[in-house]
Amino acid sequence: MNAPEKTSLEIIGLSVTYAGHGTHRRSVRAVRDCSFSVSRGETVGLVGESGSGKSSVLMSIPRLLPESASVTGKIFCRGVEISSLSEAEMNRWRWRKIAIVPQGAMNSFTPHLTIGRHITEVLEHHFKMPRHESEARAAELVKTAGLNENAVSRYPHEMSGGEKQRAALAAAIACEPDFLLADEPTTALDVITQKEVLETITSLTRDRGMGVLLVTHDLPLASGSCDSLLVMRDGEIVERGPAREVTSRPKEPYTRMLTDAVRDMEKPR
Amino acid sequence: MKAFLKRAGSSVVVLAVVLALNFFLFRIMPGDPLLAIADPRFSPEAKARLAVQWGLDRPLPEQFAVYVKEMLSFRFGLSMMTSAPVWDELKNRLPNTVALLLPALILSTALGLWGGMTAALKRGSIVERIVLTCGAVSFSFPSFFVQILLLMCFAYAFPLFPLSGSASIPPPEGIKSVFDYLWHLALPVFSLTILGFGGFALYIRNMMVKALGEDYVLMARARGLPRGRVVWNHAFRGILPPVLTIILMSLPGVVSGAVITETVFSMNGVGRFLLEATNSHDYPAAGAAFFLLALLTVGCNILTDICYVLADPRVRREGAHE
Amino acid sequence: MNRLSRGFSAICLAAFVLLAVTGPGLFGLPDGEQAPPYSVPGWMDRKIARTILLSSDSGALSWNYKPPRRVSVTGELNYGSINWSTPERTFVLTDSPGEVDLDARDVPFKRALGMDPFADLPKALFPSGGEYRLWIDGEGEAVMKIEGGRWGLLGTDHRGRDVAALFVRGIRVSLIIGFSATLIAAVLGVSLGLLSGYAGGLTDSLIMRAVDVLLSIPTLPVLMVLAGVWGKGLWNLVIVLSIFSWMGTARTVRAMTLSLRDAPWVEGLRALGAKRGYIIFRHLLPEVLPLLLANVALGVPGTILAEAGMSFLGLSDPRLPSWGRMLHEAHTYGAFTSGAWWTILPPGIGIAVICLIFMDLGRKLEERADPRLVAKVGAEALKEAAE
Repeated sequence: MNAPEKTSLEIIGLSVTYAGHGTHRRSVRAVRDCSFSVSRGETVGLVGESGSGKSSVLMSIPRLLPESASVTGKIFCRGVEISSLSEAEMNRWRWRKIAIVPQGAMNSFTPHLTIGRHITEVLEHHFKMPRHESEARAAELVKTAGLNENAVSRYPHEMSGGEKQRAALAAAIACEPDFLLADEPTTALDVITQKEVLETITSLTRDRGMGVLLVTHDLPLASGSCDSLLVMRDGEIVERGPAREVTSRPKEPYTRMLTDAVRDMEKPR
Repeated sequence: MKAFLKRAGSSVVVLAVVLALNFFLFRIMPGDPLLAIADPRFSPEAKARLAVQWGLDRPLPEQFAVYVKEMLSFRFGLSMMTSAPVWDELKNRLPNTVALLLPALILSTALGLWGGMTAALKRGSIVERIVLTCGAVSFSFPSFFVQILLLMCFAYAFPLFPLSGSASIPPPEGIKSVFDYLWHLALPVFSLTILGFGGFALYIRNMMVKALGEDYVLMARARGLPRGRVVWNHAFRGILPPVLTIILMSLPGVVSGAVITETVFSMNGVGRFLLEATNSHDYPAAGAAFFLLALLTVGCNILTDICYVLADPRVRREGAHE
Repeated sequence: MNRLSRGFSAICLAAFVLLAVTGPGLFGLPDGEQAPPYSVPGWMDRKIARTILLSSDSGALSWNYKPPRRVSVTGELNYGSINWSTPERTFVLTDSPGEVDLDARDVPFKRALGMDPFADLPKALFPSGGEYRLWIDGEGEAVMKIEGGRWGLLGTDHRGRDVAALFVRGIRVSLIIGFSATLIAAVLGVSLGLLSGYAGGLTDSLIMRAVDVLLSIPTLPVLMVLAGVWGKGLWNLVIVLSIFSWMGTARTVRAMTLSLRDAPWVEGLRALGAKRGYIIFRHLLPEVLPLLLANVALGVPGTILAEAGMSFLGLSDPRLPSWGRMLHEAHTYGAFTSGAWWTILPPGIGIAVICLIFMDLGRKLEERADPRLVAKVGAEALKEAAE
């Protein structure tokens, strides 16, 4: 492995093990020796079926896995080894350099705070922005994400799934992070909204030159919007390469299975 | 606003039910209410005179109207035992009960909040173990047993506190009497505090552990917010409405606790007044004490309801829309 | 370990039930006054004598205890005198023929021995350790009852009753109250909860209003007033307690019914033409039953504590020995100024233990009724691992 580059997010030899609980004392090795990198301006898709360990990879980058997880390996962000930072230092990297777009099905917004408050809170904390400035910025961000301006004063329970996902996107780009980790950002949305949200992600990150790690189980969706693809199975990366190459000429039987499954479904009846 | 009115309305209903219960319990009971005050050997004329005196000769609806008027104007009538106005006696005792319950409630809530939060944030710590133990104790130990144990330890074995009463005999003069009063109050308040603390802290801990596992708390951490902000603004604010509900639900129990605590420590409060009145079949007095205790509960209910509406934006918003 | 503790609370409960059913008869635990008030437990102070019966023809008694609390002599004297020899001197207890009934507390007896009416006669009769003898100079027989103030397993209470016997008798009240009140409350709660959840509309809101109101009335004062008005009987208390403790169950059952009512399989039943009653009793009830059982077990401590509280306030049947009543008497008759902790700890700990047992059983039942609860911790880890 080469020396970590200044402009990318590098993951080297990442392994995640979950300690067993109670009657299930068996510990689970969710990720095994994964290495890859995401450069700024690049969109990398991490594809695998559920249970393949892709979410564990994503959450281990900002170090947000539950305490039962033990993580080994190194993570570099713009040349800094963030995996060896203290918790307080790590907190300065979260959201400012690495932000997350959560799963659509997650309750990612605190129920008793307005959408606007989620964004202004982040701005006020990270940039010490005064209230009126952060409010103006929040309104602007919400509009860029394709929402109505009054969305800032609404509570999460008053929004639809698609709207919430757009709001999550607006919150994610609030600090202009270098890297965006999108964890199944379109699951639990209907097909049309899925496409719209994904387009918004692509356009917003392209404009700002952000690196995106898109975690999804949806291979065609990933191949449509990613530059390169990583295919994960049972905690290991089994195939990698440019998106087109992986989908059209899969080397691994597992990837072939995934693409075949898609092809079968798309076959006219 | 509508949400609040709805809740206030239910408090009024509670009060009405208490009033009705109070009235009918004493009047529609097996036997003649007169038997309680008059010796069976009294002459019929004497009994009739007594009935007129207590208004027992009039039809029930009229009695009820008079009774409601008396209750709401805090007159409560005369005691059947002493023939003195009940309110005069209660007026002297109410401050003692409030002085017992209010500090205990505030202390146990504050301590419970701190203990529950600490236990949830530091799983496996000593604080968590204390909270779990106190919780189990408060759900399974009779309150009076805990209080008697405290008395045995701190008033009998190590006489740091008085065994009973609200003041020394003879009562000291001037500023000393305040300290004397507080000294007598210390053990009862302490006992109610630890009893209330256990249950409350356990609830807070359990809810907080659950809240900390919520997706939105993880996301708040992902946003790089400082720990205090994540814990208080995101996790704790989320459980505030149920916490208030717990406080609300525990109020009747706290008031019931006053009766027992005042009995154990032989304090002159409304609770013990109720016990004495019940034991001597002094219905107007018992009714008045019961009404006062219920009023105390309902008052706290309304207070908590206001906090609830303020704490939960969803309730607030729904009210505003209508 | 887990399996062991599971069995443990069930075994404890079984032991309690057995004790309650067989009662004190099994161990021959006596009723009524046995020994001086607040006699210490038998295993406590070896310097205090247990109760000794000394006959006039049984020879010498070697005594090396503290002076006894009570001494009495009964018997019959035809002629002569009944004498008491201490190492120092000899007392002539009586020389008047006829039936003998002497008690060291009696003033005439003290006078006859030439002592001050306020003198501690037992102490004078037992001044120190050594050989003592009760003997008759003449014809007759006499028995001296020496009550040292040490009795049984747990001593005696303010009336000299055996605390261990009272303790065993008290189990019955706690169990009867706990079981029956909770059972009645459960039946009330289930029926009203099912009705409320399934019928909806006005019935639902009426029942739920009632729940709210009952939940915000301080229970104990109501119970006190009712005890004053209706009398202090056990069954009165059971009825009143069950009226005030069905609300939680009703809420739970209602919530479950609501979620089940619109479940696809219930809709399917309805589409098949099943009647409301059939759906409720054959399908919904079995579904909520396991949770209900857990609810019952978890509700028992509440009623036991309420009964104990009422008894502690003196609002229970005085003829019925219960743990709360024991504590009431201990508190009223100054057990702690006498340092008689044995009248306080056993009933208090008894209540606590029985409540803990039911809570433990309730939690176990809850876990069995809702396996998701148990699996939650493990499943969470697996879920996390799976993602």
